[in-house]
Amino acid sequence: MYGNAYIDPDQTPNKLTQDEDPARLAEFEARIEGGDKIEPKDWMPKEYRKQLIRMIEQHAHSEIIGALPEGTWITRAPGFRRKLALMAKVQDEVGHAQLLYSAAETLGKSREEMINDLISGKSKYSNVFNYPAETWADTAIISWLIDAGAIVNQLANSKGSYGPYCRALERICVEESFHLKYGHDNVVFLATGTKTQREMVQDALIRWWKPVMHFFGPSDNISVHTKTLMKWKVKMASNDEMRQTFLNMYVPKIWDLGLVIPDPNLKKNESTGLWEYTEPDWEEFKRVINGDGPCNKERLAVRKYAEEKGRWVRKALLRKDAEYVTPLV
Amino acid sequence: MKIQSLDPRITRSEIELEKPFDEAKELDQWQTYEVFHQTKRGQQHQHVGCVHAPNAEMALLFAKEVYGRRGLCVNLWVAKSSNIFATDYEDADIFECEEVKTYRDPGYYKVMDRIKAFKEKQQSI
Amino acid sequence: MNISEKGFEAIKDLLYKMADDQLIIGHRNSEWTGLGPVLEEDIAFSSMAQDKLGHSQALYDVLSQMGEGDPDTIAFMRNAEQFHCCHLVEYPIGEYEFSLMRHFFFDNAELLRFEMLADSSFEPLSFIAKKIKGEIKYHSMHADIWISQLGSASEESKIRMQNALNETFPLALGVFEKGIFEDVLKSEGIFEGEDVLKERWMSAVSQIIEKAGLKLPEVNSITPSLGGRRGKHTEYLQPLLDEMTEVFRIDPSAEW
Repeated sequence: MYGNAYIDPDQTPNKLTQDEDPARLAEFEARIEGGDKIEPKDWMPKEYRKQLIRMIEQHAHSEIIGALPEGTWITRAPGFRRKLALMAKVQDEVGHAQLLYSAAETLGKSREEMINDLISGKSKYSNVFNYPAETWADTAIISWLIDAGAIVNQLANSKGSYGPYCRALERICVEESFHLKYGHDNVVFLATGTKTQREMVQDALIRWWKPVMHFFGPSDNISVHTKTLMKWKVKMASNDEMRQTFLNMYVPKIWDLGLVIPDPNLKKNESTGLWEYTEPDWEEFKRVINGDGPCNKERLAVRKYAEEKGRWVRKALLRKDAEYVTPLV
Repeated sequence: MKIQSLDPRITRSEIELEKPFDEAKELDQWQTYEVFHQTKRGQQHQHVGCVHAPNAEMALLFAKEVYGRRGLCVNLWVAKSSNIFATDYEDADIFECEEVKTYRDPGYYKVMDRIKAFKEKQQSI
Repeated sequence: MNISEKGFEAIKDLLYKMADDQLIIGHRNSEWTGLGPVLEEDIAFSSMAQDKLGHSQALYDVLSQMGEGDPDTIAFMRNAEQFHCCHLVEYPIGEYEFSLMRHFFFDNAELLRFEMLADSSFEPLSFIAKKIKGEIKYHSMHADIWISQLGSASEESKIRMQNALNETFPLALGVFEKGIFEDVLKSEGIFEGEDVLKERWMSAVSQIIEKAGLKLPEVNSITPSLGGRRGKHTEYLQPLLDEMTEVFRIDPSAEW
């Protein structure tokens, strides 16, 4: 599960293609325009490679870090049905990280480098995972709404131009649909359950609405940079488009359950067909992305701990004649 | 300072909140193996992805759960990524087929008309 | 063969101890999810933990059909002294070598136990034993490969594995602690008994341990960790149960 790649606003645009061979660039762009996929050994603009690595890597980090908020409740899931499903769900997040790191590796960055960049903070992951899962109901909301957001984003990206990423996403989307169904089932049981259960899930929705609205990132400034990334099918839809798709699909489902969304301005404008909402606090979004969220430190410390705890195992089995080559995927 | 987490697993692991990270070195995550699975006897094996593993035995063990945990698999192959050799996409034009090579297609061979004519001729004798 | 009333009491006792073992080890092993030594192994270990939960659920289901509570109530509403699991499964996950060694000892016993139960006179048990055969085979294969490889991989891994072996072996012997109905199980053809199982297990694990370059302690010099089968547990079980049932107990009558 994953939100949109966060594009650094300070990055200088217009430098995307300046050093590239125009003939090769034209051929590359024509291939994408024609609906063909780009494969790892193909010629590609430097910036295409760089942006893809960053995006797929952020996505992979989001999966492995995303295993932590829901993992918070893995030992406490109530009853066999939930216990098994949550275990399988968190396992899938680890599986998605495995697939995505492999896809990013095909572009020439090793898994070790990506892990190092995650832990040093050089590379980001989806902001939502810096928020805590305070109660069991939080995991229900995460499984339903965050995974729903992820599907919107991932379905769009699976039609992108880079072969290995698309292949990974197709597999991931199938599994995410289980997460979404499980999450919805879980929320429905709480919302239609006892008074206590209903209060739990209402509180969780209130806590998670802000991260959910942050999930797709701020409105894109339509720069040359963004346009080029869209032409290259690296970015497949604008953040606002995805947020609208999400609201359109899920707000009615939330209201069906009689749950209150903590935004009095949220409504669909019937004449434009678009949802209107209170603009999320993008200053907070930036603050959290840059490290100052409720769980940033814990998430990274736990990831670091897991890497170090398992190191002796990996070191012991490493053969002297081992040789790393980029996987094909 | 040790992490006091909402996750009881984390709290009892007594994890230091701020501690320098000893960076992962090259091959810390081992090498990669490409995975091919067969969904049914009689079907061909298909490439499904890769796993990081220290050796082939372990790669098979991992591949079973990474790619086969939702069933639909009866057999797995793994091969070191370095042992797979591929053609170059730059040379993709070698696969382009000229129309004249229809002599390789079964539909190119149409002899029924000739047989029919032959039979008619025989009968008229 | 017809099973007597006493036989059914014995079956319940057997089902409880087997299901409790699997529930608790499955729960423990799920703690590694997202924290495993490499992504691929994290996934494999989680699958096996899920399988264990599934096996315990299947066995509790049989108990339900015999008039005990439903699986959720059995699993989530009892206190430690009502559990019949062995001490081996109760310990915290520790370092990876501990979890692996426990997995190795436990799953080799499981493999053999279910092989024996495939011939049980109690049909629901032989049915389950046949149904889960493949899963348990993978579990023991996974354990055997890890132990074989880490036992001689490096100086550090050798020491870690040997220490884990020394620590877990007395606990592992507790797997074979007899219940009060042992003789009934044997005489009614339900289960050949813990002694036969233990003997086969010793032969299976000692071969792999030797091949791995590790040493099994002299069995006679070891005091097995007993009591679990009769409700006497380590200090770890009750806190585990408190944690596992925290949400369920908010309202046990609610549908979660």
